[in-house]
Amino acid sequence: MRAEARLGWMLVAPALGVIALIAIFPLGWTFWESLHLHELRMPWLGKPFVGADNYVEIARDPRFWSALGHTAFFTFVSISLELLIGLFLALAMNRAFRGRGLVRAAVLVPWAIPTVVAALLWRFIFESQGGIANELLVNVGILDQPIVWFIKTWTAWIPVILADVWKTTPFVALLLLAGLQNIDLTLYEAAAVDGANPWWQLRHITLPLLKPAILVTLIFRTLDGFRVFDLIYVLTGGGPGTTTEPVALYTFNALLQNLRFGYGSALSVVIFAITFGIALLYVKGLGIRLAGDER
Amino acid sequence: MIQSAPLFGVLAAAALLSACGGRAKDTGTVLTFSGSALGAEGTLVARQLRRFMQLNPGVRVELQRTPDDANQRHQLYVQWLNARVGNPDILQLDVVWTPEFAAAGWVLPLDRYAPTKPDFFPATIQANTWAGKLYALPWFADVGLLYRRTDLVPREPQSLAELVTQAKTATARAGGPRHGIVWQGARYEGLITTFVEYLGAFGGRILDENGRVVVNHDEGVRALEFMRDQLYGSRIAPLDVLTWHEEEGRFAFQNGTAVFMRNWPYAFGAMSDTAQSRVAGRYAVSPMPSSGERGGRSTATLGGGQLAINAYTESPDAAYKLIAYLTAPEQMLERAQAVGQYPTRPGLYEDSRLRTALAIPLGQAKRAIESATPRPVTPIYTELSDILQIELHRALVRHAEPREALNTAAARIEALIERTGMRRLMTGASDSSTARPAGSIQ
Repeated sequence: MRAEARLGWMLVAPALGVIALIAIFPLGWTFWESLHLHELRMPWLGKPFVGADNYVEIARDPRFWSALGHTAFFTFVSISLELLIGLFLALAMNRAFRGRGLVRAAVLVPWAIPTVVAALLWRFIFESQGGIANELLVNVGILDQPIVWFIKTWTAWIPVILADVWKTTPFVALLLLAGLQNIDLTLYEAAAVDGANPWWQLRHITLPLLKPAILVTLIFRTLDGFRVFDLIYVLTGGGPGTTTEPVALYTFNALLQNLRFGYGSALSVVIFAITFGIALLYVKGLGIRLAGDER
Repeated sequence: MIQSAPLFGVLAAAALLSACGGRAKDTGTVLTFSGSALGAEGTLVARQLRRFMQLNPGVRVELQRTPDDANQRHQLYVQWLNARVGNPDILQLDVVWTPEFAAAGWVLPLDRYAPTKPDFFPATIQANTWAGKLYALPWFADVGLLYRRTDLVPREPQSLAELVTQAKTATARAGGPRHGIVWQGARYEGLITTFVEYLGAFGGRILDENGRVVVNHDEGVRALEFMRDQLYGSRIAPLDVLTWHEEEGRFAFQNGTAVFMRNWPYAFGAMSDTAQSRVAGRYAVSPMPSSGERGGRSTATLGGGQLAINAYTESPDAAYKLIAYLTAPEQMLERAQAVGQYPTRPGLYEDSRLRTALAIPLGQAKRAIESATPRPVTPIYTELSDILQIELHRALVRHAEPREALNTAAARIEALIERTGMRRLMTGASDSSTARPAGSIQ
């Protein structure tokens, strides 16, 4: 038994080594870096150890707090919409109909387009006063006259959230569809025999049994949402002012534009801590096992 | 993003390795020149480097390709220099980088080679001077220009007020263009270049000669109010400009939808093509006019490329020789002919060969360069600009009042100066350069 355990450890050792090298080591280094004042552009400052100074600066920085707020707002709104529309799509795709395979593949197209390309497309749609979005909305009568979308905060959010929902809903739908396919059809038959209507079946059979799939989706999407970068970088650049700037963009700005390695690393550590916390919360708080049921 | 710091280490190590491997074993000097290998620029640089090698048989120059995008090039340089890599020996700097690289000790002062400073436009020398020493030679100049439709506005505006009137009159005419003026108003460096010109027109500055922040003084507030009035008061500028960069403005102007445009010289040549431009032959340029108020002056933001010596080079003398060669009148003239970039030597503007090389009439070009003003000459320029971009944009989209936005910007820039120990460096810098004319830091 002992020998077997040792063999087991030996077999997973390469994998553990890779994880240590590509995940734990950079994380440790970033954390160490975050305890220093390190401005690549200002070598005259040296690289002194400053303890928690960078974290104190973050805590006092209004731009960070508002960026955190924007990120939470973006994550909440876009994921709510994606789950709702995704569930609807998944239920539809779960029905047997001709050409189902084709539809399932076609639905994935937006997800397959690189985010930057998708963002540029959406920017093009919303950009000028003579753009497609303005033309359409004025013709339909929703707008009196064309507007400049990217200079008001709330109108700047519209293309951002639309683009994210458009791109990611298919992914959500497919994850949920996979969950739906695992549900035993006899349950519905039994329920029907007992006289349960479709709404009741959805609430008491589909949704509870779909919970693991929903949870996986939520974790994936919340973590993605918190790290949102390319979409907003291309669409609004965080503007007007910094009113649509998410934390990842702020970190990018500090780390790679201003080359403040210490402060930027501290920001990275904070984002990591937040996303890690969210993942823990989902897993523990909702009390659901991710990897199969242990009976 | 979390992995960026180690990634940087790997990159630096790779750069070091390639630097070690790049040196030839022969006895002659080998220089690396950082630049573009693409298009007309690539051909021009290759030709000039070849000629230089023929004139200096002991020196071999290799072209090290670096990205054309300024931000990427900057980031690459900073990483290399942090790793103390001696390649490339000659660095191509944007005009706002020189003080940063100088204060960091990444480029060598050129004074011991005694370049003839008066041969260059004063603004270009001033932009490359830090703590009283010259760190780079101006290679080509870029200046902000006011384009105007000569068929609609025959007379060059003498003041900002006249500009507004002319714009209003021209747009009110039946069949006149939709927009009075277009400029770079998105939240990026271009917004600063636009602002600096209005700021100068009202007699304001961002930093004074002692490095104190003065952008929030009355002149600055009036300049920003003027920009805002163009959007919401006189409405001569469309709100779209708040998302526009250079090219969006140029498209509007060349499609005939704007009376005036603030842009760089490249647009002059680009809009002369009748196949694409509806306004070919019907525009002229001048510097942005003054406000006419006391202390206000006609101002054009200075841009352009500089050449400097990598402080970690093994052959600084040969490197200077190459810089001197590339910034000599003949090579500048050839550069103007091949890629249309402006010489930084006023003397060349008397040369008839330049007349055929540049798209812009020489008189107009020279007058603009003479109004050229550098952006703040400080090592922390990039972060300063970042702060100012955000606050200017907030005021222009009406999230804040101009005075409030500029006060916030000033407070943040002060904090930046404090945090980076710049106060000490700045006083050092101005002490040793008392000969500079007043207003030179702006």
